[in-house]
Amino acid sequence: MKSLLKHLKKYWFLALLASGFMVAEVYVDLYQPRMMQRIVDEGILGISSGGVSNLDLVISTGVRMLLIVILGGLCGIGSALFTNITGQNYGNDIRKACFERVMHLSFEQTDRFSTGSLITRITNDVTQLQQLVMQVIRGFVRCLMFFIGGTAALLSLDLSFGVIVACAFPLILIDIIFVVWRTNPLFTVLQESLDRLNSIIQENVAGIRVVKAFVQEKREAERFGEANRHLVDTQFTVQVMLSFLRPVMNIVLNIAVVGILYVGSVQVKQGDVAPGMVMAAITYISQILNGMMMLAMIFQTLSRGMASARRLGEVLDTESSIVHDETLSPAAGGTAGTVSFRGVRFAYAANGKTVLHHIDLDIAAGETLAIIGATGCGKTTLVSLIPRFYDAAAGRVLVDGTDVRAWDPAALREKVTVCLQKSELFSTTIRDNIAIGRPGASQQADGFIRQQPQGYDTPVAERGMSLSGGQRQRIAIARALLKRSEILIFDDSTSALDLKTEAKLYEALSRDYADVTKIIIAQRIASVQNADRIVVLDGGTIAACGSHRELMASSPIYRDIYDSQLREEATA
Amino acid sequence: MSGSIQSRAAQQGFGRRGPGLGAPTEKPKDGRQTLRRLLAYFRPELNYVIYLALSVVLGVAAGVIAPRLLSSAVDDLVARDFQAIPPILGMMLCVYILNGVATLLQGFLSARLGQRVIYRLRAELFGKVISLPIPYLDNHSHGDLMSRMTNDAENVSNVISSSLSSLFSGVLMLVGTVVMMFSYSVPLTLLTCVTVLLSVLVTRVMSVLMRRYYLKRQVLLGQLNGIVEEKVSAAKTVTAYNLQDSTIRDFAETSDALTKTGIIADVIGNAMGPLMNMINNFSFVIVAAFGAWFALRGMISVGVISAFIIYSKQFSRPINELAQLYGQIQTAVAGAERIFSILDAESEDKSGDSVLPIDEGIIEFKHVNFSYVPGKRVIHDFNLKVEAGKKIALVGSTGSGKTTIVNLLIRFYELDSGTITVDGVDIRNISCDVLRDAAGIVLQDSVLFTDTVRNNLKYADRSISDKKMIEAAESANCDKVVAALPDGYDTVLTAAGANLSQGQRQLLTIGRAFLSYPKILILDEATSSVDTRTEKQIQNAMVKLMKDRTSLIIAHRLSTIRDADEIVVMEQGHIIETGTHEELLKKKGDYYRLYMTQFAGQET
Repeated sequence: MKSLLKHLKKYWFLALLASGFMVAEVYVDLYQPRMMQRIVDEGILGISSGGVSNLDLVISTGVRMLLIVILGGLCGIGSALFTNITGQNYGNDIRKACFERVMHLSFEQTDRFSTGSLITRITNDVTQLQQLVMQVIRGFVRCLMFFIGGTAALLSLDLSFGVIVACAFPLILIDIIFVVWRTNPLFTVLQESLDRLNSIIQENVAGIRVVKAFVQEKREAERFGEANRHLVDTQFTVQVMLSFLRPVMNIVLNIAVVGILYVGSVQVKQGDVAPGMVMAAITYISQILNGMMMLAMIFQTLSRGMASARRLGEVLDTESSIVHDETLSPAAGGTAGTVSFRGVRFAYAANGKTVLHHIDLDIAAGETLAIIGATGCGKTTLVSLIPRFYDAAAGRVLVDGTDVRAWDPAALREKVTVCLQKSELFSTTIRDNIAIGRPGASQQADGFIRQQPQGYDTPVAERGMSLSGGQRQRIAIARALLKRSEILIFDDSTSALDLKTEAKLYEALSRDYADVTKIIIAQRIASVQNADRIVVLDGGTIAACGSHRELMASSPIYRDIYDSQLREEATA
Repeated sequence: MSGSIQSRAAQQGFGRRGPGLGAPTEKPKDGRQTLRRLLAYFRPELNYVIYLALSVVLGVAAGVIAPRLLSSAVDDLVARDFQAIPPILGMMLCVYILNGVATLLQGFLSARLGQRVIYRLRAELFGKVISLPIPYLDNHSHGDLMSRMTNDAENVSNVISSSLSSLFSGVLMLVGTVVMMFSYSVPLTLLTCVTVLLSVLVTRVMSVLMRRYYLKRQVLLGQLNGIVEEKVSAAKTVTAYNLQDSTIRDFAETSDALTKTGIIADVIGNAMGPLMNMINNFSFVIVAAFGAWFALRGMISVGVISAFIIYSKQFSRPINELAQLYGQIQTAVAGAERIFSILDAESEDKSGDSVLPIDEGIIEFKHVNFSYVPGKRVIHDFNLKVEAGKKIALVGSTGSGKTTIVNLLIRFYELDSGTITVDGVDIRNISCDVLRDAAGIVLQDSVLFTDTVRNNLKYADRSISDKKMIEAAESANCDKVVAALPDGYDTVLTAAGANLSQGQRQLLTIGRAFLSYPKILILDEATSSVDTRTEKQIQNAMVKLMKDRTSLIIAHRLSTIRDADEIVVMEQGHIIETGTHEELLKKKGDYYRLYMTQFAGQET
């Protein structure tokens, strides 16, 4: 929260200016009924001139009133201008700060927030917070002024009108509190049921083949029907609740008007008050009560905005756990391109389950190391520690002999390139997607790219969904290769390639990337058998490590994997 | 989802990103027709419509009468006729309460009416979307479809529930007020109309200006949200390639542009209030000055002036509201138009005379030709007969047409020519439901639903016993995956199944297919992310499970398909080789070469 306020500090003057203009605008709004009253009482009714209308007075006061109103209007526009400058720039600052923070979070922190939630925070919650700030600057000041100023003006007319305000005030307050109290929790329910409905739609559109293949259209329609019913019912309740606010307030307000008329008639009879004053009083009371009505709306923005502010504060207060630890000194004389694991243990913070137990491993410069193992045994986690996507819970990971925590993260990632399991592409051209590694020519993907209607300039639609899995992978591999780092990691990133393409890739790797340290995670024995060494990972520990030949002789797990793929053909 | 189809669909579909960014006001193409059709949704709710109309009439009547009473009270006050005041005040009280009750009823009725209509509209739309044929869904952007079901439906819903009754009461109020004003004083009414014209003029000018900036802002907002969504979702790639700084720069640029436009747009928007206020006061001065002049000449009473002050306010409010409503209604009608265009799309033809369950599972392709895009044939004269209980494998490079064969077999796409028969019956004569019930499919993109693991596994049939479910889970090797989840089979999977790895998701989808006890099992790259030992165990389980059943397997990994009774090697939509693994190896043809590439260097 503190960090949110810190960003607000530099706008204090503009905010003050906006509030000042608002006060002036409201002051004019409050002063204007007095002139109206003068026009009616003195001009039209001619009270002081013995009942003769005074047209000159009407016109001269009218012109003065218009001038003042125009001044008030200009103040109003000025207040809008400064409020928007303050609020929107503040929102922009927060948005940029949040985005920057999110981009620098560790993977673990991103996972903990969840991608969807981070997106909503940067988009929706910032808007809500912005609204909140602008409401407070403008609306709150306005309501308060209307309320206090209106009451003061009313009482200055005649104290007896105060009784009516005193009666109406608690009634309206009860109405507001009741509605806000009842609807606020409903807004959360409403958001949830809307999310649920949207996720059902999304799942069905994306998974339509499964729905159809299993002939489940009817059941999905029923599932949707339930969610739809729930949403509609909640929406109905909220709308009915909200629709209480206005009519009840109107009734109270209008009864107050009747009350003013009654009290006024008594006063006029006694000769204490002129009829025009009664009319001014009616105007004031509707201003006061309207001010309260606006307050009710502001309270809604306020409670929603506060929830958003909390969510944004969470993001801004999360310091990235991946920081360059300057206290650790880089080791002198480390060989470039080496990677070492020293007693590394890793557990995901989310569930506390230990994924890697005491890993010790040295990878030499220029070596090709393959990692093989069952689904979920920790292969991806192991390699993610090298470019410091995650930090080990215990032990040390060294690159070029220097602890990864002593590296500047950007320099480290310049040195280490990971071709991720999931090929994430951006909505730009294929050329730009490949060039994020390094601008230039491309490799394995060349053939198919040339087949695309616009070759390298073909746009990639919807995060690469317009390309097949194999095609996406080729682009992802091409950009990893182009980056020309000293350490290259392939995280099961050839699974969707056909055999010929994959074989060509490995051939190219050993030919053109001989001095690069290569770490390859794969499922196929054929993909790993030519590696200098193969690590067999089992249940988070290194079960065996050695060349294909050595492992065939010594590791039952490796042989088992081998058999599952090759069996009798190996001897054929 | 099949890669080849996706890419083809996208090739035609490049650039056709739907009207996702809703402009503040859009012009519908055929507004009248759409409006008429939208109104038809109200027919079943006729009694609500009538009650709503009655409550609106009641509310407006009370709203129009009240100032009249007020004015006569003021008149009496001025005339010092204090006896006459209390009865008038009593009447005012009644009228005000009546007005309040009527508005309350209006709120209730319009909410109910709106929700009932939107419930039906949404249900109908969803029912339509899931019954659309696969080609339609492949050729339309999913984001676009989504936005129609959410944004457009929401817009229509809002207009129905709120704007409609406001529109009705606004028009009534306008008419009522004008009638009342004329009945008091014709010249004063005409004068008030001048100021109203002025406010309409100002509104128009401002709204043209506003629309331009709102539109610009909408576009920038869409861009910004796009950046956030893409870059946050792909945060891992951004980090891995050290792109944080350039990404942050891009974001800041768009964000700054948005802020600048936003400030302009909102200042214009916010200036409307003070401007209207000025015009209203101008109107007051005119009414007061001319009123006084008329009063001096004895043409009207002073009470009439106070009534006029209220009436002129009442008069300009609905006019401003109506201008606003007009824009809202236009947007909603444009949304409804898009919704109707989906509702009008042709549903999938699932018909077929044969509704008898398939019990053998004999599949035969005869001279099958097929193209996604006319003129670009992807399957050429495909002939294949699969005997019951056999295991057939399709191999070939990306784009060779393997997945297309599956698409054709379960009637996701229609053939150009030739026939496919199952148990000797042309599939066009078998009802889709029967055909698909008989088939169990596992696709490469493992789709799971936000539901418990149990319901995901029992997707085909909820009534299956837990015992059978656990058996199937064991066969598919996903029992261990489930055991590691916090609540076992009752764990609710999150939307994208984020709490599972790709391989684990594939195991669950295999379990789901096993549990549907299919006559024909189709595995399309179903185990690509599963390690080979686990895959081997699944295959062993399958042998038992698929006894007397037909299976069709597509895979890159040759180890996956080696046991097949027949291997079909495909290349660009043609069958180039068929035979068992041994036969094909002996033949030293394409399959042999493929095999050697996979194991290149292995035996040396």
